[in-house]
Amino acid sequence: MAGVGFSLKKLRDDDSYAGLIRLYGAAGIISSGPWLLSILTLLFIGLIGRQLVPNTEALQRFQVSVTWLFAASLLWTGPLQLMFTRFIADRDYLGEHDETLPNLFGALAVVGAATFALALPFVLQFDDSSWMFKWLLASAFVVLSQTWMAIIVLTGLRAHMHVFGCFALGYGVTFLGCMAGARFGETGLLAGFLAGQSALLFSALAVLAKKMPAKSAVAFRFLERRSLFVELGVVGLLYNLGVWIDKLIFWWSPGTGHRVLGPLYASEVYDLPIFLAYLTIVPGMAVFLVRVETDFAEAHHAFYAAVRNGAPLLRLETLCGEMTDSARRAVIDIVKVQGITLAVCATLGPWMLSVAGISELHLPLFYIDAAGVALQVIMLAVTSMFFYLDRRRAVSWLTFMLFVTNALLTWVTQRMGPEFYGYGFAIAMALTSLAGLVALSRTFQHLVRDTFMRQPVVSS
Amino acid sequence: MSKPTDIALLLEGTYPYVRGGVSSWVHQIITGLPSVTFSLIFVGGRRTDYGEIRYELPKNVVHVETHYLEDAWKQSKGALPSRAGANQFAHSEDLHNFLKYSAAGKCPDGVDIAQLGWTADKVLSMLERPDGLCINDYLSHPIAWEHIRKAHLEGDDQASFVDYFWSLRLMHGPLFQLARIANTAAPARAFHTISTGYAGFLGALLQRRRQRPLILTEHGIYTKERRIDLNQADWFEQLHAGREDASLGTTHALRELWIRFFESLGRLTYRAADPIISLYEGNRSRQLQDGAENVRTRVIVNGIDPKRFAPAFSQRGGEVPRVVGLIGRVVPIKDVKTFIRTMRQVILEVPDAQGWIIGGSDEDPAYAQECEALARSLGISEKLRFLGHQNVIEILPKLGVLMLTSISEAQPLAILEAFAAGVPCVATDVGACREQIEGGTPEDRALGHAGRVVPFADADALARAAVELLSDSTTWHACQTAARQRVAKHYSQEAMLDAYLKVYQSALEV
Repeated sequence: MAGVGFSLKKLRDDDSYAGLIRLYGAAGIISSGPWLLSILTLLFIGLIGRQLVPNTEALQRFQVSVTWLFAASLLWTGPLQLMFTRFIADRDYLGEHDETLPNLFGALAVVGAATFALALPFVLQFDDSSWMFKWLLASAFVVLSQTWMAIIVLTGLRAHMHVFGCFALGYGVTFLGCMAGARFGETGLLAGFLAGQSALLFSALAVLAKKMPAKSAVAFRFLERRSLFVELGVVGLLYNLGVWIDKLIFWWSPGTGHRVLGPLYASEVYDLPIFLAYLTIVPGMAVFLVRVETDFAEAHHAFYAAVRNGAPLLRLETLCGEMTDSARRAVIDIVKVQGITLAVCATLGPWMLSVAGISELHLPLFYIDAAGVALQVIMLAVTSMFFYLDRRRAVSWLTFMLFVTNALLTWVTQRMGPEFYGYGFAIAMALTSLAGLVALSRTFQHLVRDTFMRQPVVSS
Repeated sequence: MSKPTDIALLLEGTYPYVRGGVSSWVHQIITGLPSVTFSLIFVGGRRTDYGEIRYELPKNVVHVETHYLEDAWKQSKGALPSRAGANQFAHSEDLHNFLKYSAAGKCPDGVDIAQLGWTADKVLSMLERPDGLCINDYLSHPIAWEHIRKAHLEGDDQASFVDYFWSLRLMHGPLFQLARIANTAAPARAFHTISTGYAGFLGALLQRRRQRPLILTEHGIYTKERRIDLNQADWFEQLHAGREDASLGTTHALRELWIRFFESLGRLTYRAADPIISLYEGNRSRQLQDGAENVRTRVIVNGIDPKRFAPAFSQRGGEVPRVVGLIGRVVPIKDVKTFIRTMRQVILEVPDAQGWIIGGSDEDPAYAQECEALARSLGISEKLRFLGHQNVIEILPKLGVLMLTSISEAQPLAILEAFAAGVPCVATDVGACREQIEGGTPEDRALGHAGRVVPFADADALARAAVELLSDSTTWHACQTAARQRVAKHYSQEAMLDAYLKVYQSALEV
C-alpha cells in the first residue's frame, strides 16, 4: 500500500537548542562592567583630584559632571547595549564574524548622532558655563556612549591583554590630561577626561579593526526588525534605572541634593559613602567573574551540548545537577567573600572614610551601603545566570522589581530621616536578590523538563 | 453535509491521490457498488507529496475531505488550552500499559487487562474533547513530562533522550490531530478503513465516538510494511552521526520505538474493527498474530472483471513478445533494482529481450534516479524502458511475461489483470503470489502453474524463470491457459463485490 510518505527527517529545529549555547554570557559582563568601571573612575578622580586641584568648587563641578555623564550615558545606551550584545552573539553563533565590525561602526554612527542630538538641547541649559565647557560636555557624552558599545565587542573578543592595554592607555591619558588641565578649572579637567576617554575608544577600535575581519566598512543590519530585541532593550533600561534611581532621588530632593551647575544636581550626604561602598565589591566581582563567567558558564555549556549530542536522560539530570551546584557555589562564594569584606569594612570603616575625606557621621550610611552593594553583586550573578538560561522574562521581572523597590523604598526611607538613608537601596537589593534566588532555584528544579517541554514545535 | 453517507472510506496515502493496486481496488469497489453512497476521508503526510485527484470520481462518491499530518502542529494553535488533571493522565497511562501488556502477551499479576482496555477506549473517545486530553496537555503539562521521563528510564535508558523525546512528539502530534479530524468528519453510517496505521486509528476513534461500525480491509500488512520502511530509513544513522554522547544503541532503540508505535496503532484498529478482512490466508494469520480477534477476521480475495480484459487478450498476436514487464510504482518495496539486474541476465541469454518498468516514479524520485543509474551502469539502458503509468489494457498485450520482484506484496491486482489478459507471471514468493500462480485449494492447484514463483532478491532465479518462459513456447502456453482459467474461476469481481455488499449491508443494519 502506498505509504503516507511521512517525513521522519525533519524532527525538530536543531538551532533552537544550539541557540542556548550562544556566547550570551557577554550580557553579564556588559551589565556589570561599564557600571563598575564608571564608579571606580569617579573614586579615582575624587581621590587624586583633591591633590591636583586647589579650587575645590571646580573639582566638585567636574566630579558631578562626570557622575552625570556616566549615569546618563549608561541609562541612555543601556537598552542599546543589551540589544547589540544579542545581535553580536547571534552573528558569532552563525559564524558571520565579518558582520560584527561593520555593524559596530554602524552602531557607533547611529549612537553618536543620536547622542549628540540628545545632548545639544541639554547643554544649552548650562547658563553660567563657558561655550567650551558645553562643547566638551556634549562631546564627552557622545564618546562615553560610543565607548560602551565598543566595549561590548571588545570583551566578546576575549583578548584580555589588549583590553587591559586599552584601559591602561585610556586612564593614563585621563590622569595626565586632568593633571595638565587642572589649572584651567573644570573646563581643563573635563578636557583631560575627554582626551582619556577618546584614547580608550580609539585604541579599542584600533584593536578591533586589526583583529576582526570585516565584510564592509559600515553596516546597519542591527537595525533590521528581526535583530531588534525590544525585551532586552527594556531590561537594559530598567536595570540601569534600578541601579541609579536612589542616587537620582537623593540628588533631586530639596533636603538632600543641591544644584551644582546647569541642571546637574548632587548630594553631599549620599554620594561619597555609596561610591566608596562600591569600592568594596571588587572581591565579590572577582568571585562573580570566576564562578559565574567561568565555572557556571562551562557547566551550562556542558549541559546544553549534551542535550544536543543525544545524551541519555540520567546523564542530563546529572549535568543539570552539576550546573545547579555551580550556581549555588557561585552565590555562596560571593556571600562568603562579601561577608568577609563587610567584616573588614566594619573594622576599617573609620579609616577608609578619613582617607576619602568623609566625615565619620557618614559611617552608618557607609555600612548599610556596603551591605547593599554586596547584595547587588548577588543580584548581578542571578541576572547573569538567567541570561545564560535565556530566561529573558525572569530578567525583565527582576529588573522591573529592582527599579520599583529601589525607587519606592528610597523615597520612603528618605522621608524617615537621615539615620535611614541608604536603607531603601539596601532593602531593595535584598528583596530583589532574594526574589531572584527563589526564582532561580525554581528554574533549576525544573530545568531539564523545561529545556524539553518549552521547545516550540516547528512544522517543516 | 447533513445526510450521512452509507460508507466513509478512510484512506491513508492512497486513493484518490495516488495510483496503484490498492487505489484500483478502491475504485473498483466504488464503481462496482453504485447503490452505496461513499465519502472519502483522505489522510496524507505532506501536501507536496500529492497532486491532483488521479481518478474520475464515480457519482456515488458524494463527499471528499483531505487532511495532511504535517498540519498536526499548525492546528495546535487553535486547540484547547491545557487543562487536564491527574485523572486524565492516569487513564492515559492505562492506555499505554494496555498496549504494552497486549504486545508482550502477558501482564503483571493483579492487573486486569480487560479493565485497562476499557479505560483505553475511554481515553481515545475523549481525546481532544473538553473532558479529555488535548495536544496542549501533551506538550506542556508537567505530568506529561513525568510520563515521558519514566518511559525513557524504563526503556533503553542509555539511548539518546533528545531523539526519544522528539520521536514521541512526532508520534503523538498526528494522533491528536486525527482526534480533531474525528470531531469534525462528515457523518457516515459505517466507516471502512483500507489500512491500520493513522487511517485505522482514525477509524477506531470514529467507531468509539459515533458508535458506528468500523470495517477494516488490509491489503498488505501495514505494520510489516512500516517495519521494512523503517529498517531501510538511513534517517536514524544520520541522527546519530557526530553525536559523541548518544549511545550506539540509540538507532536501534528509536527504530524499535517507531515499530512499536505502528504496531500499537494496528492493535487499536483491530480492537475497534469488525470485520477484519484480509486478501488471503497468510495475511489473516498475520493479523491474528498482531492481536486481531479470530472471530472477526475473514478473507475476501481480490477479483477482476474478465470482460474488461477481453480486448487485451484478443489483441495478442501469435508470437510471444520478448518483453518482460514490471507493473508497479518505482519504490524500494517493489525492489526495482533486482528487476534491472535480472533483465541484464535475461538479455545475455535472449538478446532481443526488453524490460519495461510500468508505473509512476514520482513517489520516491531519489530511488527512481538510482534505478536509472543502475541500468546505465549495467549497460542495458537501451533495452530497459521506464514507461511511467500506463493503461493496463493497452500495455498488457505487448508483454510476454509479467514480473514482480517485490519484497512485500499482498495479493497483487497486477497478477490477476495479467492473467486475465493472458500473460504468465514470474513473481517473488511474497504475500499471496504463490497462491495466485500455483493455486490455493486442491481444485485450484489442479489447473496448473500460471508462471513461476522464486525467492525474493534472487536475480539468477528470476532470470532463469523468465528465460524459460520466453524461450519455451509450450510451457508459456500452458501457463497462459492456467492463468485465464484460474482468474475466471477463483478471482471473479462479481464474487468480491457480492461479499463487500453483504459486509456493508450488515454494517448499515446496525
